[in-house]
Amino acid sequence: MLTTGQKRNKFMKFTPKLLWAVLAVTCCTGLEAYATSNVSYTNSAVQQKIRIQGRVLDESTGLPLEGVSIRIGSVAITQTSSNGSFDFETEAGSMVNFVLIGYSPYPRTFSTSADNIIITLESESQGIEEVVVTALGIERNKKSLGYAATELKGEQLTEALANNWSEALSGKVAGVNLVRSGGGPAGSNKIILRGENNLTGDNQALIVVDGVVINNSSGNQVGTGHGAYLGGDSPSDFGTGINDINPEDIETVTVLKGANATALYGQRGANGAIVITTKSGRSRKGIGLTISSNATIESISRWPDYQFEYGQGTEGVRYYSFLAAQGLASTRSTSSAWGPKFNGQYFYQYDPITQTRATEPSLWQPYPDARKEFFDTGATFTNSISLDGGNDKTQVRFSFTDLRNNWIIPNTGYARNNVSLTASHDVTDKLKIRTRLNYRQNRSDNLPSTGYNNQSIMYWNIFWMPNAPLSWLENYWINGQENIAQSYPFSSYPDNPYLIAYEMLNKNKRHGLTGNIEASYKFSDEWDVLARTTLDVNMERRSQQRPWDTEKFSRGMYRTQQLNNSETTSEVMVNYKKDINEDIKIRVTGGGSTLRNEASQERNLADSLAYPGIYNLGNAAGIIVTIPNRSELVLNSLYTMGGISYKDYLFADYSYRIDWNSALASPISKGKPFSYSSLNLSFVLSDAVTLPSYLSYAKLRSSLAGVGSGGMRPYLTAYNYNIEPTFSGGRANPTLVPNLMLEPLNTTSFEIGTDLAFFRNRWSLNATYYHANTTNQHLQAVVDRSSGANQVLVNAGNIQNSGFELESRIAPIRKSDGGFQWNINATFSTNKNKVVELTDEMPEMTLQNGPGSRGSIIAKTGGRMDALYGRGYLRAPDGQIVYNAGIPVLTDTMMYIGQTNPKWRAGINNEFRYKQFRIGFLFDAQFGAVGYSLTAANLASQGKTKNTLPGRYNGIIGNGVIDNGDGTYRKNDVIATNVWDYYTAHFGNDNVEGTSYSTDFLKLREVRLDYNLSPSLLSQIGLQRATIGVFGRDLFIWSSWPAFDPEFGTLGNGDITRGFELGQFPATRTFGFNLVVGL
Amino acid sequence: MKKKLIYSTILILGLTSSALNTSCNKDFDVINTNPNTSPKVRPENLLAPAITKVVGYNMNRSQRITNELMQVTVNMGDGEGRIFRYEIRNSEADYLWNNWYIQLRNFRDIYDFADELNNDGYKAVALICESWIFSLLTDTYGDIPYTEALQGRDQNNFTPIFDKQQDIYLSLFEKLEEANSLLAALPPTTTILDWSDPVFNGNLQKWRKFSNSLYLRLALRVAHKVELNSSDIITKIIDLEPSNYPIMESNDDSAILRWTGSSPYVSPFATWRPGDWNSPAMAEFFVERLQERGDPRIQKWATEVAGNYGGVPSGYPVGQPPIVQSRPHPSLMTQPLLGNIMNYAELQFILAEAAVKGWVFAQPAEVYYERGISAAITLWEYTVPSFYMGTVFTKWNDAETEFEKMEKIHIQKYYSLYFTDLQSWFEYRRTGHPVLPVRSGHLNGGKMPTRLIYPVYISSTNRENYQKAVQEQGPDNINTLVWWQRP
Repeated sequence: MLTTGQKRNKFMKFTPKLLWAVLAVTCCTGLEAYATSNVSYTNSAVQQKIRIQGRVLDESTGLPLEGVSIRIGSVAITQTSSNGSFDFETEAGSMVNFVLIGYSPYPRTFSTSADNIIITLESESQGIEEVVVTALGIERNKKSLGYAATELKGEQLTEALANNWSEALSGKVAGVNLVRSGGGPAGSNKIILRGENNLTGDNQALIVVDGVVINNSSGNQVGTGHGAYLGGDSPSDFGTGINDINPEDIETVTVLKGANATALYGQRGANGAIVITTKSGRSRKGIGLTISSNATIESISRWPDYQFEYGQGTEGVRYYSFLAAQGLASTRSTSSAWGPKFNGQYFYQYDPITQTRATEPSLWQPYPDARKEFFDTGATFTNSISLDGGNDKTQVRFSFTDLRNNWIIPNTGYARNNVSLTASHDVTDKLKIRTRLNYRQNRSDNLPSTGYNNQSIMYWNIFWMPNAPLSWLENYWINGQENIAQSYPFSSYPDNPYLIAYEMLNKNKRHGLTGNIEASYKFSDEWDVLARTTLDVNMERRSQQRPWDTEKFSRGMYRTQQLNNSETTSEVMVNYKKDINEDIKIRVTGGGSTLRNEASQERNLADSLAYPGIYNLGNAAGIIVTIPNRSELVLNSLYTMGGISYKDYLFADYSYRIDWNSALASPISKGKPFSYSSLNLSFVLSDAVTLPSYLSYAKLRSSLAGVGSGGMRPYLTAYNYNIEPTFSGGRANPTLVPNLMLEPLNTTSFEIGTDLAFFRNRWSLNATYYHANTTNQHLQAVVDRSSGANQVLVNAGNIQNSGFELESRIAPIRKSDGGFQWNINATFSTNKNKVVELTDEMPEMTLQNGPGSRGSIIAKTGGRMDALYGRGYLRAPDGQIVYNAGIPVLTDTMMYIGQTNPKWRAGINNEFRYKQFRIGFLFDAQFGAVGYSLTAANLASQGKTKNTLPGRYNGIIGNGVIDNGDGTYRKNDVIATNVWDYYTAHFGNDNVEGTSYSTDFLKLREVRLDYNLSPSLLSQIGLQRATIGVFGRDLFIWSSWPAFDPEFGTLGNGDITRGFELGQFPATRTFGFNLVVGL
Repeated sequence: MKKKLIYSTILILGLTSSALNTSCNKDFDVINTNPNTSPKVRPENLLAPAITKVVGYNMNRSQRITNELMQVTVNMGDGEGRIFRYEIRNSEADYLWNNWYIQLRNFRDIYDFADELNNDGYKAVALICESWIFSLLTDTYGDIPYTEALQGRDQNNFTPIFDKQQDIYLSLFEKLEEANSLLAALPPTTTILDWSDPVFNGNLQKWRKFSNSLYLRLALRVAHKVELNSSDIITKIIDLEPSNYPIMESNDDSAILRWTGSSPYVSPFATWRPGDWNSPAMAEFFVERLQERGDPRIQKWATEVAGNYGGVPSGYPVGQPPIVQSRPHPSLMTQPLLGNIMNYAELQFILAEAAVKGWVFAQPAEVYYERGISAAITLWEYTVPSFYMGTVFTKWNDAETEFEKMEKIHIQKYYSLYFTDLQSWFEYRRTGHPVLPVRSGHLNGGKMPTRLIYPVYISSTNRENYQKAVQEQGPDNINTLVWWQRP
């Protein structure tokens, strides 16, 4: 039987006996001192006694707050009860302060007696007095931190729920760069903080769940290993363990942006960290039950500007004939729409019944909706239930979540279940044991293939004709040849999209378990020890199947992959803290850990099938190729950290860590240890001196750190022959010469910042400047192949990132008593990336090649890591485009086109509250980057977009000049009648300048409307809380991007890369409804 | 009490750190030993993948470069980089250079490991393959890294010097001499492991015949250069010491990696999309010469359009695309014979030319010529039509000029070299045969390119040696003559 139980308190219980809270106690002391110091005293003349009654509620949830300390001056006169109510007497005109840890103190002056007063307290999300979770899960008082850290509450992730929780970071945290695979419903995101620093490896932030780093185990598999551009097979995004984290279970997400904050992660701390803490149980009466239900629908929001004036046909052909007839050659197989204008004429066209040319001519007409009709409305249903409860000694929380998704491509989607359990128990006053376990299961019967290739829907979408209805494709087999021969009326390049959706399936099933068990023992107030073991296990089965007669696999295909990863860490940490005197306090932690990562992957390939339509390895027509791969890595570490504080306003912290990494051992060395250290300073000016009254808080912080990365890939230090899996006993020389003395990358980072609050915290501002250099890059230096190798692995190079981050919170209107409130949260960040140095011999390094090597991302010394190069317009000295025979001329060499990461990003979130209502909307913008759009290039060179309409029948004169050959130029006056060549030269593949577009955008990222049922209504119906909300995500995009979404990444070869858009999926907008009920 | 606590803490700390300290890099060398691969291999592990890949690369460029330059096909269009118009983009340079050298590393290992194991069979095979591939490299690019090549792994030499083509040819002759003597010293029944050898299934006698036939190919290629006097090699092999230098005796001895269709021996074209295979049209020159001779092979090589075969004139004027007729036959995508390395017919045409030039007397040129024709046609599983040798196009006539004889031999050789790496282009550059029509749409001044440029990246990764090579050989462009092409 569930009881209505106690009202829940949002703040953390500080039981001094609990070791867990030891550090927090220090903070708590600081907090209360701060709160007290801000109370202003009123006239002390003897006044009349008045009586005040009322309740204290959480401003955001409307829930009653228990244990709110009600103070006059520094004296606490009473506390609120479990239903948040209070009742006290005081002198008229005295200033009463309502104080609760985790909330902004609320001072109010009462002059007369009053009852039914409602006081709302606002949670301290601007983070001045907050306790935040830092590296290695250590909780710290935010004011002591010498570096920037931003914390988001779990609600901020779930109130406008996206399929991938990390979407919610966008626009809310300065300095976060999400590189999206856009690869379908399970779309993976790469989270990059403060710019990319590693030329050839992983730049992704560490993702830490309850102290477990999941990057190198459950988080390390993205997609299958194929290229996105006409590769052997198309990559599919199966998601990773990072996607599978259940946002409903997240209590807080702390974004530790720079190396300074994450130096304690040693060899893998250079890219910053996203530290996730999951919810835990609380001591309470009875059981707390929360049910949340979320339903979203997703539909396409933006399309390329297709033309529907001219139909299928090769260059200059003004008739149409499906197959040759009446003396006219067939125009069936072209992919271009340079054909006849839709003028009401009749042509011989395709007949889907007979699957060949119709016997009668039919009307030549456009079908503007055919491309759109193929897509469905996506829908996602997420239902969660959580139970929590406990007493002084034991607290438990359990939750279960079920997610079901159907995506916008027919027959695609996935399902996910999460089960989590958190338990903590005080065995004695000194010994505490605690565990958190998250199990997740993700499964799909079909996830879409991505990229520009056969088997991808968007490849078909580009190739589809303006003059053809979708119904021609619905029967995707040749009549009488089901499973043997596909039916597609036009060019043989694309496959029938229904065949793709219903027969070319990519399946997966993934189990993941992430958890930790820890015990802490408190010897005394000064000494305690903590031992922790963490575990991250991931098991996944994937398969791909292709029927006979697909373009890439004429006899079908079936492949499987079995992936197993695990990472375990055991850690012991000893803490000592002591107050030397009133003013000086020290704390020191020493610890050590050992980490073991084991991975295995087995791939089986049957690239032709004996019998059509049967998909298993037993149906292989030839030999089943098996490719096993195992790896193991051990990382041992010792570390210490500590700090000293003076009068709770001056803090100095250090950290030092030494790592031994097996991946750096080689046949000639066991691998030398590497050490990393950091020094942080924080000075709370407002506590040290008296500042003008409008400045309520002022802190200066600064930090210097050295930290590593890139040493987590084993086996780069020895020469081993590759297996040639299709050959019996086949081996081949590797093409990369290893480095026997490999060292990890080293990042040296400096940051300085300030946290300010004005007008009683009505306006707060956090500003940070950072500057980091990453040296010892693992460069695979290209060598002359005549040396017998492609590349040699060297430690060299230096990449510099610097930038500003601003986060600000403004409360222009803040009426108390549940009245109108307006809050603004704004973020702004810049990043400047510079290639300071490569190797001595290499002035530049190609990091990534675009489709068909038409453009490249090239790091040149002095340039940027994300610089897009390619051929562009040949221009006269005055900048005009040079034309020859009416067609623009392109440069012979690769020229700089632009940077592919934005110059700046900004987000602004507005929130309005009135009584039980809350409305919020978040805008998100980026500026100053370009991207290459293969979608736009191919649509234009096939004559399918409106930008190719002018001059179709009569020719066009391009705006530019003609080279007179003697250094002078005259205005171009040549009519290009071959408009297809004209437009292909302007917008087609080869003109990287012409087909690269600005990726600047402004997005209406989130819109929310929530209604909290009032406490009185809730108590009548026996609920503790109930919230109903409607929301939208990505509702509008303002951008000149010609394809779908200016925010894109491309999935390929197991990575997500930026710069080149290769057949992206449509951008979608999401509408959702959610309901949270607490019993 | 307090003391006790502190002591126990120190004890725990001490234990922890000492435990970590002693084991902080224990067994790391073992843990970081790759469990998936091996640092040691034997020759038989390397041979099949390496040779299969090289044949695959050769077929790929034969389709892309040789067929376009030699008017077998026309990949129509007026845009840039149309190879049939003699416009070769700089980026075309990388593919063969990179892939050939990377595979040479494997052949060099086969030699070294076979040397350690005293296995002269694999040693000889490695020498033959090295000679074959290095000859392709130097014929394609001219002067190339040779003596210092392949030393990156073992000697950290990533900037090898370039050797002169003349010296390379001399060294290749030595390699082939060594291969022949190694194989001659083995009992005739000696084999290498059949599964490691997709060309001859381990038959070392056939390798020896291939070796000496290849020797003839290379000797003929530079026979006109007085510096090496390589015509003497031809005379030695054929007339003076034939028993010491066995050569191919029938189609059976041809060095062909026959694609069986089952993995790994699947033709690299088998996985191409039909649309990609069909993008070039057949060229008029190739199709018409076959037709006027009544050559049956056209049925396997080109598609029929309305009961007829027709080709597009290569080098047609820009902006005036002719109507496409025949395309390359789709059955070629799985055709086993496209894996040709060197066949018996080519050898006969080599000998026919040598006979015409007076370097070989064992048989008259006519015999070699007619043997070559019938071997070439029967290889494609056709019988030689009874009229074939007697037509005005084919009939041998000793009274003809050397030029006319060369044209007759080389048009036939051209067909026998169908899809054989870049050989017909090399032969055209050496002899000017078969005479190809040049039209207004041919760029580069209507001049057949004489080499591929060095990969662009080499000018930075191996700068000094690259610059020396350019000084020595001439500007790095497609018209600079390689040594054997120089007058």
